[in-house]
Amino acid sequence: MGLGLLASKALKPTASRLLSSQNPRSLLFLSRTVTSTPELQKPEQAAQAQPEPTPDLPPRTPLAGARVHFPNPDDAIEVFVDGYPVKIPKGMTVLQACEVAGVDIPRFCYHSRLSIAGNCRMCLVEVEKSPKPVASCAMPALPGMKIKTDTPIAKKAREGVMEFLLMNHPLDCPICDQGGECDLQDQSMAFGSDRGRFTEMKRSVVDKNLGPLVKTVMTRCIQCTRCVRFATEVAGVQDLGMLGRGSGEEIGTYVEKLMTSELSGNVIDICPVGALTSKPFAFKARNWELKGTETIDVTDAVGSNIRIDSRGPEVMRIIPRLNEDINEEWISDKTRFCYDGLKRQRLNDPMIRGADGRFKPVSWRDALAVVAEIAHQVKPEEIVGVAGQLSDAESMMALKDFLNKLGSNNVWCEKNGMFHDADLRSGYLMNTSISDLEKADVFLLVGTQPRVEAAMVNARIRKTVRATHAKVGYIGPPADFNYDHEHLGTGPQTLKEIAEGRHSFSSALSNAKNPVIIVGAGLFNRKDKDAIFSAVEAIAKSAKAVRPDWNGLNVLLLSAGQAAALDLGLVPESENCLESAKFVYLMGADDVNLENIPKDAFVVYQGHHGDQGVYRANVVLPAAAFSEKEGTYENTEGCTQQTVPAVPTVGDARDDWKIIRALSEVAGVRLPYDTLTAIRSRIKTVAPNLLHVDEREPATFSTSLKPQSNQELSSEPFGTAIENFYMTDSITRASKIMAQCSALLLKK
Amino acid sequence: MSFSLRSVKVPPNSASLEEARSRVFDFFREACRSIPSVIDMYNLDDVVTVSRLRSTIASEIRKNSHITDPKVIDMLLFKGTEELNNVLEHAKQRHHLIGQYVVGRQGLIQDIGTKDQGISNFLKNFYTSNYF
Ligand code: SF4
Ligand code: FES
Repeated sequence: MGLGLLASKALKPTASRLLSSQNPRSLLFLSRTVTSTPELQKPEQAAQAQPEPTPDLPPRTPLAGARVHFPNPDDAIEVFVDGYPVKIPKGMTVLQACEVAGVDIPRFCYHSRLSIAGNCRMCLVEVEKSPKPVASCAMPALPGMKIKTDTPIAKKAREGVMEFLLMNHPLDCPICDQGGECDLQDQSMAFGSDRGRFTEMKRSVVDKNLGPLVKTVMTRCIQCTRCVRFATEVAGVQDLGMLGRGSGEEIGTYVEKLMTSELSGNVIDICPVGALTSKPFAFKARNWELKGTETIDVTDAVGSNIRIDSRGPEVMRIIPRLNEDINEEWISDKTRFCYDGLKRQRLNDPMIRGADGRFKPVSWRDALAVVAEIAHQVKPEEIVGVAGQLSDAESMMALKDFLNKLGSNNVWCEKNGMFHDADLRSGYLMNTSISDLEKADVFLLVGTQPRVEAAMVNARIRKTVRATHAKVGYIGPPADFNYDHEHLGTGPQTLKEIAEGRHSFSSALSNAKNPVIIVGAGLFNRKDKDAIFSAVEAIAKSAKAVRPDWNGLNVLLLSAGQAAALDLGLVPESENCLESAKFVYLMGADDVNLENIPKDAFVVYQGHHGDQGVYRANVVLPAAAFSEKEGTYENTEGCTQQTVPAVPTVGDARDDWKIIRALSEVAGVRLPYDTLTAIRSRIKTVAPNLLHVDEREPATFSTSLKPQSNQELSSEPFGTAIENFYMTDSITRASKIMAQCSALLLKK
Repeated sequence: MSFSLRSVKVPPNSASLEEARSRVFDFFREACRSIPSVIDMYNLDDVVTVSRLRSTIASEIRKNSHITDPKVIDMLLFKGTEELNNVLEHAKQRHHLIGQYVVGRQGLIQDIGTKDQGISNFLKNFYTSNYF
């Protein structure tokens, strides 16, 4: 809720509306709603005297894009907000009705994604025929209700609530990190009284230690309980609670305990005051000095929408952006706090490893010349390229084209391993789409631990389980879940039993209306992956998970680059090419089996962090990180999104695709694109869906077209794809905060 | 000595090209005479010699040798005097001088030339910066 919005509503009475309206009748009508005296004394009469609402009322736009969705047209009811009629579905609250009518009601405890608590009383409005002002967030709207948000009574009520809240709120805004984006500050400016009458001592509360991410200053807490509701409802950890009564009321973790949730950072955003703030960001910057860049996250395959706040060349913090289809308004802790990794361990100069094993900084000219020369000395089959998990589509396209021009086709994206079914998009995407997971009633998770692999997808599953009591079956090693689930088994054996209908879970699947099967991309590395996928397909078939109106067969990818890599056809030609390679081009790839690269191979590492790949590299070419370049990424559900550069590149680094383009020219196989637009039109010929930004392109054909595999299932149980949630790629491995988290929060 | 040029004032316009020309020579001499004290003030002895600086000044002046309009020459002279004055008044710091007059305008990479022949604009730009 922005101060501007609130202030303009509070300070500017209907003057502008009056000016814009020419009709004398509506002029009279509007001024009456503002003074409101007749309604106060004789509500019935006033209601009768009120003219029928006419279309010449100035149209109002719903607040913050509030959407009205009528599940059933008969359920629509009409209410009047400040005399303005709105149609809303039954069951909406008064506050929501006001939002649809374009009136912003001040609030502290109400949050649209959490349950209703109704304990702050800031949202009081007047409703005709009710003796007292009502808390609009907790009051269902009834047909014909006449809601008044602008009357003296409502204003006085808000002023009173503000005064009570400020009684015990410390006056430490100058040293508070929330200052400038604090709901309490904004609303006391807009609705508060200009003086207080409180002369006693303010209360103080002991600060709690919630771990390395969330800083608490509990004296500032206004007991809205948003954080408690978030922890129990969305994050699914019962860590936070309300202790004590009356003025002894405190938020805390009943016993001394850290908050161990992968979504804990979100309490920083939902806390309306500065009681919960970001620990790494504490006292680092003021929010009005920051430049916000709307971009996307690459630390997992979800592609959460984020805003990078930067000051000068430094990323100061990362906060979520609303995207209903992907991350709603939450992000995982890894996304939020990995940013300090962007400042450490960075590569900033091209370097060549000398005879003594040490790196020597050289100029780009020399580095590219050396690489180009070696590339020509080896046989084309001995050239191998591996794209890293954070690679964008443009650079992967360039890498593939470059290697193809050199005569090799051994290029892939590291997490995909030897997976080579890139022909059918449905074979590697989350076909159901993240938001449609909410429609599912039975989940079968095969070898995937969504809580660590894709925290936002897990939050969706949890939301579904909470809302509809959907059943969750899980096959894989024992894992942490924050919702009820049934651990069916640990390996392919169980999968086979379900496929053959011998398992008790088969009936649950076949009775389900919208079953969802999620296969983890960690299985891509298994020898029997084809057999697993055909077993899964058999299950999907018998459960009717793939129908024209519903596609419940999903693959949950692990990293940001994977989907685009498969779309662009980055699949290795032969299984063992890495073992026989003489020239290896690692484009940000750190998680390949570096031991498999022969000792005499020449390794080029192009990337932004001095991570595992650099230890083996002979030449290092510094590249830009996701916060510094414009790149296209496709998330696990097939939605294409683009990053936007927020800060300049460090040192002498260059954008990934530019490096490959330059290298190709030095090597004499010049790639035909010089600009981002040109490389995108090249991508268009391969995977046009990568140009439809912010759109989800569902797979057209279903998997049933795939030939049956006659591989044998091995009995080896499924492994965990991600050992440490907090450290999965070069950025997070370089981050100090993530290192602290893994030390303190991981369950041993 | 270092404050001798302090009162930079605008002299009357040169009446002819001849006069402008002789003023340029005056300025050049003036500048050359101050080189030793500049080297002294900014501790430049280890990076540059008097003769190198002298030829830098000469080449800066020669850059504008094609100009024949006395008014323009007057203006450039004024700017030159101002710059010299700034240098002598210690209004600059050591790295300014090194950057502008010792290392040169091209920056540290001096080997632009034969190597870059026949390469595309993209590669030329790539070698200089990431932003083009
Ligand atoms: S800590 Fe913040 S979110 Fe939690 S109850 Fe207090 S004010 Fe509300
Ligand atoms: S927002 Fe309604 S009581 Fe808090």
